[in-house]
Amino acid sequence: MIKIQKENFNVEEEIHLIKKNLLSVGAVSTFIGYVRNKNNNKKVSSINIELYQDMVQKCLDEIVNKANQKWNLLDALVIHRYGRLNVGEKIVLVATFSQHRYNSIKACENIMDYLKKDAPFWKKENYEDGYSWLENTSSMSIQNQ
Amino acid sequence: MLVKYFAWIKNITEIEEEVIEDPSIVDVNSFKKFIRKKYPKLNEHFNNQDLIRIAINLSYTYENDKIMPKDEIALFPPVSGG
Repeated sequence: MIKIQKENFNVEEEIHLIKKNLLSVGAVSTFIGYVRNKNNNKKVSSINIELYQDMVQKCLDEIVNKANQKWNLLDALVIHRYGRLNVGEKIVLVATFSQHRYNSIKACENIMDYLKKDAPFWKKENYEDGYSWLENTSSMSIQNQ
Repeated sequence: MLVKYFAWIKNITEIEEEVIEDPSIVDVNSFKKFIRKKYPKLNEHFNNQDLIRIAINLSYTYENDKIMPKDEIALFPPVSGG
């Protein structure tokens, strides 16, 4: 299941909604991404996440389908937020459900790797004195002071 | 075709999306040529191969793919989700 939303989410509840119907689940692996207060030696006050909604949906569908097949998952959940998020808030949740831990751990890692590489989201990091658009792996050079 | 701009590219084009109808645009290369002329400030970013990505109908382009008049084209910088 893929959810693209502005609202916060409760990890336990989201996992329970899926797991309650899957009694063969023996392992759930999760990754949760948060807004941190420092990046590139700058104090971060908040971030804005922009997205290309239709392409995000398509891209995540493909990523999750591939992971499902490759790692024989019982289910997978991706929640990614957009809009303005403050320090400490959750950005993303990936949860993978399988019979055994190996597959759920590998699939979770795999989905996050591809999400960070291909899913069309962009983070604008806000500071007291300006902002930067980020790119995964390093900070963008385009800044507004 | 409908052309959409995202993240800091939008700051340069000063528009989120627009309809472009020009018979010279038949593939990715001719599209880039058109956009470079329309938005000269994008030139330096196009010159850096990794900086601007182009999608046609929600799929990444990796070659000089064909573009049809009713296609949806998106221009965006490297992604930073997660």
